[in-house]
Amino acid sequence: MLALSAGYYWMAVAIPRSQLADAVGPQGLPRVYALLLGVLSLTMIVKSFRRRAQVPSVAATPPPVPGRESAGAGPRFPLWRVAGMLAIGILYILVAPWLGYLLSIAVLLLATTYYQGGAINRQVVLVSLSGGVLFWLLFVVLMRVRQPPGWWLPLS
Amino acid sequence: MVAPPLVIDALTSIFTTAIGPAAFAGVAWGILGGALPGISPSITMALLLPFTYGMDPSIAIVLLASTYVGAEYGGSIPAILIRTPGTNAAAATVVDGYAMKEQGKAGEALGISLYSGCLGGMVGLVVLVLLTEPLATIALAFTPAAYFALGVLGLSVIASVSGDSLTKGLMAGLLGLMIATVGTDPVSGVNRFTFDSPELLSGIPPILVMVGLFAIGELLAQTGEPGCEKAASGTARIRFPGHAMRKRLARPQAIGSAMGTLEGIMPGAGGTISAFLAYNEARRWSSHKEEFGHGSPEGVAAPETANNTVACTALVPLLSLGIPGSNSSAILLGGFLIHGLIPGPTLFVNHPDVVNGLYAGLLAANMALLTLGFVVMMPCLWLVNRPKPYLMAFIYAFVVSGIYAIDASLFQVGVAIGFGLVGYAMRYFKVPFLRMVLGVVLGFMVESNYRRALVLASGDHMTFLQDRISAGLLGLAFVFVAGALVRQGVDALGRRRLARSAA
Repeated sequence: MLALSAGYYWMAVAIPRSQLADAVGPQGLPRVYALLLGVLSLTMIVKSFRRRAQVPSVAATPPPVPGRESAGAGPRFPLWRVAGMLAIGILYILVAPWLGYLLSIAVLLLATTYYQGGAINRQVVLVSLSGGVLFWLLFVVLMRVRQPPGWWLPLS
Repeated sequence: MVAPPLVIDALTSIFTTAIGPAAFAGVAWGILGGALPGISPSITMALLLPFTYGMDPSIAIVLLASTYVGAEYGGSIPAILIRTPGTNAAAATVVDGYAMKEQGKAGEALGISLYSGCLGGMVGLVVLVLLTEPLATIALAFTPAAYFALGVLGLSVIASVSGDSLTKGLMAGLLGLMIATVGTDPVSGVNRFTFDSPELLSGIPPILVMVGLFAIGELLAQTGEPGCEKAASGTARIRFPGHAMRKRLARPQAIGSAMGTLEGIMPGAGGTISAFLAYNEARRWSSHKEEFGHGSPEGVAAPETANNTVACTALVPLLSLGIPGSNSSAILLGGFLIHGLIPGPTLFVNHPDVVNGLYAGLLAANMALLTLGFVVMMPCLWLVNRPKPYLMAFIYAFVVSGIYAIDASLFQVGVAIGFGLVGYAMRYFKVPFLRMVLGVVLGFMVESNYRRALVLASGDHMTFLQDRISAGLLGLAFVFVAGALVRQGVDALGRRRLARSAA
């Protein structure tokens, strides 16, 4: 957070000045926010050092996700699993302009279902494809909302 | 006073003209649009606008206004069931609504939301009919200094709902304010923190932050949590609050109605701020403070009453002054103009039939909300009880589709996913992310009005104290923050004493 506040302050100072600017200017409040965040970050650092000095064993333990402390043993690599979910989303962003909405959303449904513990079988494939069609009908046909067009089928 | 014949006329027109069916259709469409993340109430209304060209003016206006009513309510359904606010105003409902769902009380939360929404809508309608003219004068008295003070009052919520760690709450709020500075500067037009990206020129829409932090962050947290491979089970039914619960909810609903009235009549304030303020005040005046944030029924009732009250009271500045106070009322203004009607004082003289038709339509819309809200909840509850892998996949698809719908931008989908990662990290480090949302929502309002007020006062900061409304609101914010600090101090002292006596 301290690094973030320093970086944000540096960028705020670099905002170009304008002849139309008022007394506060476009840099004014961002600089105040950065300084406040810096002060609060330092406060947190001091607090955590104090706490560590009082209870060394607690400070060494990484904090669990809130509300899930007593849920039992988790997956072996939770961060990798999180990264996998993010990767599915990023993959959607990359393939949607090429495959188009209907197919991309079906792929996203299939990949996420499989990733969350579903098997790859006829039922999952059928649900994913039906889901793709359902989303297309809902957003594109009924709501008339634009979705990625794709190059193979004009279904946006 | 409304003459009884006017009420009778309203009821007659609901059942004998097309106003009733138009209200039902509008509410149904609004609930669908509001429940889809990324489809705001204004987009839902705008989609209908072309279809209203050939309609009778009264029917067209009722259709659009009912869509607004339905959309404001619809946002709470995904907020409670999948932790995704369908609209900005539903963000405050997420906190306790989703916590109730996690406790197996989804049906109860949805029942409270629907009951409070209908109640808020009816209160808003009464305010609209009776107080449009006097309230419009209050709205006109709001200067940029007063709007700034209103924003500060909203931000004071951060101090009073930050729970155990005020420092973390303030940091989250500041991060939100920082995010709100991205884009074109409101006064000078200079680009800030845009990294030469045209996609960032108009800033980061709050809905991206909300959907990222709440929905995608939750998906990521559930992915990394124990037992994520298991399928969800169990059933739920919608449950309306019983007598004892209705009695308990009366106070937060009264607070929500008051906040919704106050915020609705002021152009630019809107349902989101009223929902957060109502949540905070409901917590402050509750005898069950400890339940807030952990599934409090009052935490659902207050914001839902507030944002549904706003759906009616937001029409006050539009009808009385011709000023659209929000995007949704701007679309409604478009509906008026399409039919050659000019909102403002002359509307009441030249077209009383349209005004009375609108009042009747809003009455019908609130009746329709109760019926349709009940009908749509059954399939919604069935959907969220599907096996977890399917549920998570459909939520992910739902979210990315909704985000893309905002501006047809895959860049924004990426931004929302990025905020999902931020949300996961904030959960991991126990940083309260609701404060960040508050900062994002209020940041632009605070900065732009602060600077406009100073420009008008030639840089004199005393303007914030010389303006009576501003001074009053700032004083209130000070009292709230000081009260929260004193309470925290007393609590800390008590804990220390307890620890000492235990030792």
